[in-house]
Amino acid sequence: MEDLIIAFLRSGTPIVYIAIAGVIAQRAGIWNLGLEGLMIVGACATIVTIRLTGSVSLALLVAVALCALLSLLLWFVVEILKANQIIAGLGITGLGLGGTSLALTAIFGSEAAVFAPHGLPRLGPAFGVFGSLSILVLAMPFLVFGIWLVLCRSRFGLRLSAAGEHPFAARAIGVSPTRMRFWALLLGAPFCALAGAELAAGSLQLFSVNMTAGRGFMGFAAVIFGAGHPIGATLAAFFFAFVGALGIRAQLLYGDLFPSSLLLSLPYVATVIGLWISARIKGPSAATNSELGRS
Amino acid sequence: MMTEQIAAVLRACLFIAIALLLCMVIFAAVGLSAIDTLRGVVEGAFFRPRAMDHVLRWGLPLLITSVGVVICFRAGYFNIGAQGQFYMGAIAAAFAAEALRGTSPLVAVPLCMLAGIVGGAIWALWPALLRVKAGADEVISTMMGNFIAALVLVHVTSGPLKDPSGSGQATSSLPVDAAHRISATTGTSPIILGITALVVLLGWWLTRRTAFGVLSGLAGRNPTMVTWQGADVERIAIGAFLVSGAFAGLAGSIELLGPNGRLASGFLPAHGFTAVVIALVASLSVLATVFVALFFGALASAALYLPVMAGLPAAAIQIINASIALFITSRTEAAENLLSRWRARWKT
Repeated sequence: MEDLIIAFLRSGTPIVYIAIAGVIAQRAGIWNLGLEGLMIVGACATIVTIRLTGSVSLALLVAVALCALLSLLLWFVVEILKANQIIAGLGITGLGLGGTSLALTAIFGSEAAVFAPHGLPRLGPAFGVFGSLSILVLAMPFLVFGIWLVLCRSRFGLRLSAAGEHPFAARAIGVSPTRMRFWALLLGAPFCALAGAELAAGSLQLFSVNMTAGRGFMGFAAVIFGAGHPIGATLAAFFFAFVGALGIRAQLLYGDLFPSSLLLSLPYVATVIGLWISARIKGPSAATNSELGRS
Repeated sequence: MMTEQIAAVLRACLFIAIALLLCMVIFAAVGLSAIDTLRGVVEGAFFRPRAMDHVLRWGLPLLITSVGVVICFRAGYFNIGAQGQFYMGAIAAAFAAEALRGTSPLVAVPLCMLAGIVGGAIWALWPALLRVKAGADEVISTMMGNFIAALVLVHVTSGPLKDPSGSGQATSSLPVDAAHRISATTGTSPIILGITALVVLLGWWLTRRTAFGVLSGLAGRNPTMVTWQGADVERIAIGAFLVSGAFAGLAGSIELLGPNGRLASGFLPAHGFTAVVIALVASLSVLATVFVALFFGALASAALYLPVMAGLPAAAIQIINASIALFITSRTEAAENLLSRWRARWKT
């Protein structure tokens, strides 16, 4: 039972962090499909920096800086050049996936997985069987609560939502939606970095090409499933992780009865079902079907 | 009309130039020589022996898939599941090819392609139904479809169609009956060229000469208006998804019967995303896709050339594709505004 909970927390935490970044952007009116790319950049930067310098805090700093840089690039393209959010976001994802594999080849000479001598600090023996979890797992509920305070209980958060929901009204009271989205993407960047760091250095201490395997998109789906609310998105992210952990469990128990690669697809199927349920609850989403980049 | 098209071409060139600038910054940031890398890409794409063969080998299947993407995007649906539909087409065709082993190619090849078309269309149908009937966002559902299809491909190549002689981690299926191959491993063939031409003609006819084309183009811009005019937006949407899935599936079956000759887990992982980029660079015009797809076919062939001949990482091509995607939907007016604002700041 305990190892199931540990596996569940381990696989859920990165998705929660990336979903929080998605929630912040979503409330400001940006559909951030670059989450996948931001997450893998965070993961790669953490492992490579730990490997090269040995310092975990420096690694997190580098990861945050790179995620912030990419987030601001997305902001520039979407808000200043007025590009389509969905396509530009996928572009950021492609840059992240390609850029990390390019960086591995440039630094280590091949695309093989990179190992770090140590990962993030662990909770330690004081937490008993959960001691092997990283501190980011423990920090997660506090950070989610903090973000809930900022987004739902502060003047800044309300302005952010205004910029997303009624940009014209926001402008009328002197809030620039463009500027609010800048802050939203910047605020989301550390969460992308932590998501990547937890994924790569939380328990594994390694980075391999394409290791996010769609978790960024799952995080985005959690944002939609959770109706753009930090608590809702957290629960949705844990739901996807729960199904994933269940799939891995089933693979161990019934691997010879049921093909393992199909069990691995369970979290993706769960995401689709989650999407379907949330659409049934909310009604059709208005955000797509927007005008494409036709000149 | 003509000046409009020239403006579209200039616009695409402008944003591709900006994208290449970003690529050079990234190359330099990871410690590669930006100029050498770009030279390697151009060399691999256009100036290697038999470059034209390689361009067609990679460009034609991409062209087929991107015509489908164009049709779906015109209708206003972000079907980014071309990769999964392509895989499902290839898988369906592989099962058909396995069942038809030993029969006449005149029977087997069309049937395999039909299987590919159906496989791709089915994989586009469920996101379409989720979108139309329940309002579930198609971007995420098609994206999840890509991941699921990739895992189904792993399952098929390591289970039902596994090549028992294969070893190592990357699994592959038994090779297709040699008599059913429509091209050699390298290069292309008149059959593939002919099918591609047919697909382009069909796509052009659908978008320019049918009620479906006109209505889907309008629905992409303003679905409410089309609904009020009495057209069935649901049917248009499902039709657009089905056509785009069918074309992606056809491309999958062509890759199977043509250059690949067998299924391999994770083959051509960038196919679907590249097709989306092609459709956008071609500003959703079927005829423009022909040229754009050949350009990206050249880039795809350079991805294989780079590591072998120039000692450069193949991911360079992925970076180029992604950064073109990042910028290609930008508005020229927005860029002009920015420029004039900067100019004004310089003067004061």
